[in-house]
Amino acid sequence: MATPMPSGVPRQPPPQTDNPNFQQKQESLPDDLQKWNPNKPSPFPGSAPTLPPLVRPPPSSSTSAPSQPNSRPGAPPPLVVPGPNVPPNVGSVRPFGPPNGPPSPFRSPSGPPSPFGPPSGPPSPFGTRPPPGSLPSSMGGGPVISPRGSGAPGPGGRPGAFGSSSRNGPPVGVPPPMMVTGRSPGPAPSMGPFVGSPQASPKPGPPTQSAPPFSAPLAAPFGTQTWAPGQVAPPTAAPNAAVQPPRMFGMPPPQPNQPLPAIDQTGASLEDARKINSNQIPRPTTSYSKIQYDTRQGNQANIPPPASCDYIVKDTGNCSPRYMRCTIHQVPCTADLLTNCGMELALMVQPLAPLHPSEEPIPVVDFGEGGPIRCSRCKGYINPFMRFTDHGRQFICNFCGCVGSTPHEYQCNLGPDGRRRDADERPELCRGTVEFVATKDYMMRDPMPAVYFFLIDVSMNAIRTGATAAACAAISQVIADLPEGPRTMLGIATFDSTVHFYNLKRVLHQPLMLIVPDVHDVYIPLETDVVVQLSECRKHIEQLLESIPTMFQDNSTAESAFVAAIKAAFLAIKSSGGKLLVFQSVLPSVGMIALSARDAEGRGNISAGEKEPHKPLQPADKALKTMAIEFAECQVCVDVFTTTQTYVDIASISVIPGTTGGQVYYYYPFSSISDPVKLYNDLRWNITRPQGFEAVMRVRCSQGIDVKEYHGNFCKRIPTDVDLPGIDSDKAIVVTLKHDDKLQDGSECAFQCALLYTTVYGQRRIRVSTLSLPCTRNITNLFRATDLDAQFVCSLKQVANEIPFTPLLQIREQVTNICINKLLAYRKFCTTATTSGQFILPEALKLLPLYTLALTKSTGLQTDVKIDDRSFWINYVSHISTPSAVCLVLPQMIAVHNLDFDKQEENGSAIPPVLPLSSEFVSEEGIYLLENGVNGLIYIGSLVDSNIVRQLFGFSTVEETPTQFALQQYDNPLSKKLNDVVNEIRHQRCSYLRWTLCRKGDASGALFFSYLIEDATPKDGPSYSEFLAHLHRSIQAKMS
Amino acid sequence: MSEMANTDPEGIDAVRMTWNVWPRTKVEASACVIPLAVSIAPIRSHPDIPTLPYAPLRCKSCSSALNAFARVDFTAKIWICPFCYQRNHFPPHYAMISETNLPCELYPQYTTVQYSLQANPDPNNPSNVPQLPPVFVFVLDMCMIEEELGFVKSAMKQALGLLPEHALVGFVSFGTQAHVHELGFSDISKVYVFRGNKEISKEQVLEQLGLGSAGRRPTAGYPKGLQNGHSNTGVNRFLLPASDCEYTLNSLLDELQTDQWPVQPGNRASRCTGVALSVATGLLGACMPGTGARIIALVGGPCTEGPGTIVSKDLSEPVRSHKDLDKDAAPYFKKAVRFYDSLAKQLVSQGHVLDLFASALDQVGVAEMKVAVERTGGLVVLAESFGHSVFKGSFRRMFKDGEQSLGLCFNGLLEINCSKDIKIQGVIGPCTSLEKKGPNVSDTVIGEGSTSAWKMCGLDKSTCLTVLFDISSTERSNAPGTANSQLYLQFLTSYQDPEGKRMLRVTTLTRQWVDSAVSTEELVHGFDQEAAAVVMARVTSLKMEMEDGFDATRWLDRNLIRVCSKFGEYRKDDASSFTLNPCFSLFPQFMFNLRRSQFVQVFNNSPDETAYFRMLLNRENITNAAVMIQPSLISYSFNSLPQPALLDVASISADRILLLDAYFSIVIFHGMTIAQWRNMGYQSQPEHQAFSQLLQAPHVDAQMIIQERFPVPRLVVCDQHGSQARFLLAKLNPSATYNNSIDMTAGSDIIFTDDVSLQIFFEHLQKLAVQS
Repeated sequence: MATPMPSGVPRQPPPQTDNPNFQQKQESLPDDLQKWNPNKPSPFPGSAPTLPPLVRPPPSSSTSAPSQPNSRPGAPPPLVVPGPNVPPNVGSVRPFGPPNGPPSPFRSPSGPPSPFGPPSGPPSPFGTRPPPGSLPSSMGGGPVISPRGSGAPGPGGRPGAFGSSSRNGPPVGVPPPMMVTGRSPGPAPSMGPFVGSPQASPKPGPPTQSAPPFSAPLAAPFGTQTWAPGQVAPPTAAPNAAVQPPRMFGMPPPQPNQPLPAIDQTGASLEDARKINSNQIPRPTTSYSKIQYDTRQGNQANIPPPASCDYIVKDTGNCSPRYMRCTIHQVPCTADLLTNCGMELALMVQPLAPLHPSEEPIPVVDFGEGGPIRCSRCKGYINPFMRFTDHGRQFICNFCGCVGSTPHEYQCNLGPDGRRRDADERPELCRGTVEFVATKDYMMRDPMPAVYFFLIDVSMNAIRTGATAAACAAISQVIADLPEGPRTMLGIATFDSTVHFYNLKRVLHQPLMLIVPDVHDVYIPLETDVVVQLSECRKHIEQLLESIPTMFQDNSTAESAFVAAIKAAFLAIKSSGGKLLVFQSVLPSVGMIALSARDAEGRGNISAGEKEPHKPLQPADKALKTMAIEFAECQVCVDVFTTTQTYVDIASISVIPGTTGGQVYYYYPFSSISDPVKLYNDLRWNITRPQGFEAVMRVRCSQGIDVKEYHGNFCKRIPTDVDLPGIDSDKAIVVTLKHDDKLQDGSECAFQCALLYTTVYGQRRIRVSTLSLPCTRNITNLFRATDLDAQFVCSLKQVANEIPFTPLLQIREQVTNICINKLLAYRKFCTTATTSGQFILPEALKLLPLYTLALTKSTGLQTDVKIDDRSFWINYVSHISTPSAVCLVLPQMIAVHNLDFDKQEENGSAIPPVLPLSSEFVSEEGIYLLENGVNGLIYIGSLVDSNIVRQLFGFSTVEETPTQFALQQYDNPLSKKLNDVVNEIRHQRCSYLRWTLCRKGDASGALFFSYLIEDATPKDGPSYSEFLAHLHRSIQAKMS
Repeated sequence: MSEMANTDPEGIDAVRMTWNVWPRTKVEASACVIPLAVSIAPIRSHPDIPTLPYAPLRCKSCSSALNAFARVDFTAKIWICPFCYQRNHFPPHYAMISETNLPCELYPQYTTVQYSLQANPDPNNPSNVPQLPPVFVFVLDMCMIEEELGFVKSAMKQALGLLPEHALVGFVSFGTQAHVHELGFSDISKVYVFRGNKEISKEQVLEQLGLGSAGRRPTAGYPKGLQNGHSNTGVNRFLLPASDCEYTLNSLLDELQTDQWPVQPGNRASRCTGVALSVATGLLGACMPGTGARIIALVGGPCTEGPGTIVSKDLSEPVRSHKDLDKDAAPYFKKAVRFYDSLAKQLVSQGHVLDLFASALDQVGVAEMKVAVERTGGLVVLAESFGHSVFKGSFRRMFKDGEQSLGLCFNGLLEINCSKDIKIQGVIGPCTSLEKKGPNVSDTVIGEGSTSAWKMCGLDKSTCLTVLFDISSTERSNAPGTANSQLYLQFLTSYQDPEGKRMLRVTTLTRQWVDSAVSTEELVHGFDQEAAAVVMARVTSLKMEMEDGFDATRWLDRNLIRVCSKFGEYRKDDASSFTLNPCFSLFPQFMFNLRRSQFVQVFNNSPDETAYFRMLLNRENITNAAVMIQPSLISYSFNSLPQPALLDVASISADRILLLDAYFSIVIFHGMTIAQWRNMGYQSQPEHQAFSQLLQAPHVDAQMIIQERFPVPRLVVCDQHGSQARFLLAKLNPSATYNNSIDMTAGSDIIFTDDVSLQIFFEHLQKLAVQS
C-alpha cells in the first residue's frame, strides 16, 4: 500500500456494488491499500452477533452481568446498565477480556470499553418502553453515583480511596490481567449505578425499584471499599470522586435514586486518581453484535441504537436513524420543558446516508405526470402519517392539519383500522423514506450533466513536493470511476500565478494550453472545448495528466492565484454547474482575494494572551463568501484537496467548500511517500460515493415546532430551504428546532426532510424521510429518550461554529457548562430523592462527561494547535455525520503487537478490542494503533521486541522509525493481521486515514499522547477522573 | 508619370519645395497663397550620396551638422555655422583640413551626406553595440471565414520564409479574446489569453505575461541566478529567431482555427482588435529599448469588442459613413480614435511600428486606426480579401529582399535646423512630434507641430514628409547690409537600417530670399506647381479631418482664384485677357482634379478608404502624389507609339486601348472595337500578331508600375461600356455628357454626370480671377 499506486492497478468495481463487501467477508477486502476502495460507505463495524435491540433484558440479566466481566460489550442489554466495565477489568487489560465471553446481548455490564458500547446502552432502556409494564423497570437505569459511599467523608479526604486503587493496577498502563477475574464479580454490581440508567425520574419512581437491591449494596461496598481508605490520601483527594464512579460503571440496572457516595470535591491528587480506578469510569463499549432495529413498533416510534454501533434498520414507518436522528426521541410538549432539561432539540439529517448492505434499498415511487401527492397548504409530502378520511377521499396533513382531497386516481378505501387498504403495498404509505421521481415542475432546467472540473496547483512548491504528480496520478486513475456515458463532462485546468486551461478537443496532436493571466479579473479562454465529454476525449485527458508534472517541472513561479483559478474554473462550468475539485498546495498570494500569512505572528499558535487570537480563524475576506454564494447559485460544488507543507489559510479557503456543499481535505505536512495513496483514495471516494447535484433541502415539522436553523455545508438564500450544489453520503446537516406552540401530550410530532436532487445519471429525484415521534410532558421521558450521540454532535457543531469568534477558554467552559447543566437538570428534576452528595448520571448520558472531556481536548479546542489544523477541524466538523463525529472526538485505540495471539474471529471482527484512551494502557513494550477517522497513529513503544517491529514495518529498531510512512504488507502473519485490521478500519470509516508512525521522545510521540484524552495534560485539562470530580463538585455547588 | 519619367526632380536631396525662392516677410509669404513647404524623402537612396564612417561635427550652439555651406577658416581651424553664425573649432582629428584637403561633407556637391554611426564601435567594449535584430509581431484576426483564414495563413507562412533568419518573431491571434502564443514552450502549444473587452495597460500586459518587474521578482529562498543571468530573457519566450520558430509557427498556423466563440445570428463576430494591438504593443515593451520592432496586424473586419470598437455587434447597425461622422452620428468613433491615439503614443515611446493589412468587404476601422499607423510610420494596405492580389502582392513585397526591398528602417529621428526668421509650423506625414521646442518653432501648428524634432518609428526609402514653414519677420529687419541673401535648411535624420546599423543622413539646403514686394517674377520662377498641388491636397485633407465644417471645395476655389489674381496677367474685369505664366499653367487643372478627387469628394468612399488614401497621399513623393490627384492616361493604338492622352472623355475611342494610372488602381480600358476583336480571338492568329502586341503592351506597362509600387495597386481590365469601365470614366474630365453630346462620333463616349467640365471650370476661374 505504501507504494504510490501505479496507474495499472486494477480499479475497483463501482461503489454501488461494493456495499455488500463490507461486512460479508474479510477476504473481500483487498489486502493492499491500493485496491482498497473507499467506495463502500459502510460505517458499520464488522459483523457482530445480532442483538435485537428491542429485546429488553430482564433485570436479572443485570445481575448476571457483573459476573461476566469479560464479556464483550457487544450489545448492552437494554435495561442493564450499559456500563461496560466491570470492575474486574480494572487494572488489567480490558480489551483483552472479551475473548472469553461470547457476546451475549444481555450482559451489559462487563466488557471492555468499546466505543460503541456505551451508546448502545442507553437505547436499551427505551426499548423497554413499548411494553408499558416494562417501562418502569427501564427507568431503573442508572444514575451514577458518586464514588463516595455513605460513609464518604468530606471532600478533602478522598484521596484515601485511591489507596485502594493502587492495588488494582500498577501505575503503569498495563494492569495485571488477573485483577480482572478477581475483582470482577464483587464490585461489578456496584458499578452499575454509575453507568446509570438514563433516568431516574421521581415520578415513575416506583417501578424503577427493581434495581434497588443492587443499588444499595453497591453503593455501600464501594463507598466503603474505595473510600474507606480515604484517609490515605491527603488533600489531593478530589479526583477520587472520579475514581469511584468508574466502579459503578459496571453496574447493571442501578436505581436512579440510589444514594451513591458523594464524590469528593476537594482535590485528590491526580496521580492517585488515575491509578486507582480509572478502569471503572464509564467508557464506551465495543459492540460486535449486529442490532436489528425496526423504526416503529406497535405504531410507536422506536428508540434507535447509538449511531456508532452496527445495526440493521427495518423501515416500518419512520425513516432510518441514518437519515434523520433526533437529539431526543420524544418531543417535549412545551418550550419550558425543553429549557428545563438543558438539552437541545435538533435533528441530525444525513439525507444520502449509506445503507447497511443488509437493509432494503429505498423504494422509488413514480407518481407519473402529476408528481407526488402533497399537502396543498404546507406542501408536505405524502407519508405514512397522513390520515385518510371520508372513505379515502380526503386526507389530513400531519404537519399543518390541513384537509386535502385525494386525487381521484389515488383514492382507495379504508380498512377497519382506518388505514387505507393498499397502505402496505404503497411504499409512501408505509415507509419512512421513499424517493419520488420528480416531474417537470421540480426542474428549472433539464437535470444537469455530471460535470467534473479538476484544478491542479502547479506552482513551484506543488511541483517540488510531488503534490502535482500525486494529484495528476490520482485523477488519471479516478477517471475510470466516473459515470460512463455522454452525460459525463470533464475539464482540467492548472494554476500557479496564472490560470491554465486546456483545450481538450483538438483534432491535432496535443492539447492546447490556454493561459488566463489576468488573475485580478478572470475569465475563460474558450466557451467550448474546455469542458468536454469524457467519452470523446479520454485519450487527450490521460495524455495531458501524464504530461502536466513534467511540463511544469522547472516552474519557478512560487505564487498561487488560487482564488482566481477557482473563479475561472467556475466560469468554465457555470452554465451547467458541477463539481470543482481543487488541488492546492500553497497560500493564495496573488490575484483576486490574495491572502496573507496570518499565522506569522503567532507562530501558528493561538495563545490566550493575544488580542483576538481567534481572528485568523475567521475568513480573511468577506468577498469569498460572496463568491461562494455565486458558485452555489450556479450549482457548482467545490472540494479542496490541500496538499501542503505550509500555512495556507484554511479558514479563508474553506468558506468556498463550506458554502457550496463541498469539503476540505487536508494533507499536512504533505509527504510524497505516504500521501499519494490517500489522496487517490479520498478522491475516488469523493467521486464514487453516493451523491447528488443541484439539490434543495427542506425540513418540515408538525405544527408547534419549527425549524430554527440549519448548520452544515450549504448555501442558504431563503430561510426555509438550503441549497446544496452537491450533497453526498458523508454530509450531514444539523437542523435545530424550536417551539412556536405547545404540543398535545400523547400526540405525535412529525418531521419530514425532503431533498430534491439530481443523480449522477441525470434523474431528478425527491428523497423524502419522515420521522414521527411521540410528544411528552414528562421530563424523565426526555432523559430516557435522549440520544447522546446526536446531542453530542449537535453541540460539537455549535461549538465549532463558535471557535472563530470566541476565546478558547470561554468555549471550553461553555462546553463543560452544557454538560453540567444537563446533568444538573437530571439531578434536579429526576432524582430528587437522592441526596446531594451523589453524583448521578442518566443512563442515556452516562458517557456525556467523557464526550465532553474529549471535546475540550479535541483539535478544535486544544491550546497548542496550528491555525490551519484548527480551521480544518472546524470545517470538517461542520459537515461530519454523527458516527464519524463520535470517533473523531473519541478516537479508538487498539493494541497491535499481539494481533496474532489474539483470536478474534469468533466475533467476526478483525479489530481487537478497544483500549481506553489513557496512557495507563499504553506499554512501552507494545505497539498501538489509534485512529479517529481522519488520522491513524501507530505508536511503537521504546521496548518493543525488535522482531515484531521488523515483522510489521520492515525495520528493526525503534530508532529507525521513519517520519514518512506508508504501511506495507510483509510476508508474515502479524503483518497480514495488521493490514487486515487497518483495512477493516478503513472500511468502517470510509476513510483511508493518514498514517503516522510515532515513537517516544519526539513530536510524533507527543502527538500520539495528545490523543489520550483520559490523561491529564498541563495545558488542556484534567484527567477523566478529575473531570468527573469537577462535574460533581459543580453540580453540587449549583444544587445547594 | 510621363513628363517626369526621365528626370529626377528631387535630386540628391530628395527634396521638392513649393517655392524655390522665399519671400522675406510674413505678409509677403501669405500673399503667395501657396504655403512655403518642403517635401523631403529623408532616406531615399541615391547613388551620389556618400556614406561617411564617422560622426558629423555639430555646431556647439545650434547643434546643426557641419555642412557644405559652412564658412571655414582653414588657418584658424574654425568653421562658422550658417544657421547661427557660431564659430566652432575643428576638433584635433580635423587638423589635416585645408582648402585642398576637405572632408567629404564640405564638398559643395554633397549637400546630402550619410554618416554611419556604428562604423567605429568602441573596441574596448564591443558588446556595447549589440546588433539588435528586428522584431516582427504578427497580429492575426481569427474571425474570418475558413477560406480567408486559409489565404492569410499561407501568406504568413510565405512571409516567415522570407524573414531574415535572425529576426525575432512573435505571434498574437485574436477574436473574442487575444491570444499571445508562447513560441518558446516546446511541451505543448501554449497561449496566453487576454480578455477582449477590457482595456489593458502595458504594465498589466507585462505582468500578466510574466515579463514585468513584479513577475520576475525573485522569490525568497529560490535561486536568483536564473533571473539575474538574463534580465530580459522573459521576452524570449514569446519572440524567437525566425529560424528557430518557423516550424513551430507553421504547425501552429496549421492548427489555428477560426475564433471558437459563437457568433449570434444577426451579429458581427466579436473581434477585439484593440486589445490585441495593446497586448502586442505591451509585449514589445519588454524588448530592449531601441529595438526596431513592428506589429503587423492582419485584420479581417471591424473591431466590435472592447477598446477600439468601431461598431456594435448588431449587424443591423452599419459601420459609420462619412455622413455619420459629419452629423456626429458615429457613437464609437471618437472613443476609438482616442484609444488608438493612446496606443500610438505608447508605440512611439517604445519606438515601434504598427502596420495594418486590412482585408474585408466592409470597413475595418482604418479611419480610427489611422492615427496609430501614421504616427508610427507604419504601412497600410487595404484590400477586399486576403486572397486578392492587392494584399498578397503587397504583403510579399514587404518582406522581399534586394532590389525590391522596401528598405524598412526603424527608429528614425528627424531634426530640422533653419535660418533665423524661418519657423516650422509642422509636418504632414508619417511621424510624431517630439514636442521639442526651440526658436524655430512656429506658434501656428499644422500637422505634427510645436517641435523641431520628430520621431519616425518606421520609415522606408520612399517615406516622404511635408514640412510647412512660416516666415517670422514682419519687416525687413535684416537690411541689405547683412548680406544673407541665402536661407538655409538642414534635415538630420538618424535611423536604424534594416541590418540594425545606426545611420545619420544630413541634408542641407539653401535657397534665396527675394523681396517679392518689388517683383513677383523671381517668385514665379521658383514655383513648383506639381509640388504646390500636392501640398494643397495634403493641407486640404488635413483641414478636412481637423476642422469641423470645413468646406474644402470653396477653400480650394478661393485659393486658386487668389493665386490666379496674384500671379496671372490680365486686365481688370476682362476675363478674356487672362493668361498664366507657364510655371503656373498646370496648377488650375491640378486643382480641378483635386476638387473631383477622392481626397475632397469623400462621400463616394467610406471613411476607411478616405483614411487609407490620405495616409498614402501624405507619405508618397510628389510625383506619385500628383498621380493620385491627377491620374495619368496613356493611349495605345495601331497608328502610333503609346502616348499620353488627355484625361478627358474625348480620349476614349473604339480602336484604342487606354491605360489609366490612378495610383491606387490601374485601369486597362479596351475600346469597343478592340474588345470585339479580342473576343473573336484575333490575337491568337498569327497574322494578327500586331494586335496581340497591342493588347500586350498596356499589360506590360501596368506590370512595371505595379512592381515598383507599394501598396500594390488594383489592376482593372475592362472594356468600353462594360461595368468596370466606371473606374476609368470617374477620373475623366466630363467634357462630353448627356447634356452636350451633340457631336458624338462613333466610338467616343459620354459620361453621365452633372459635374462641370474643365472648360467650364476655367471659364469661371478666369472670370473670378480678374474681378477687382
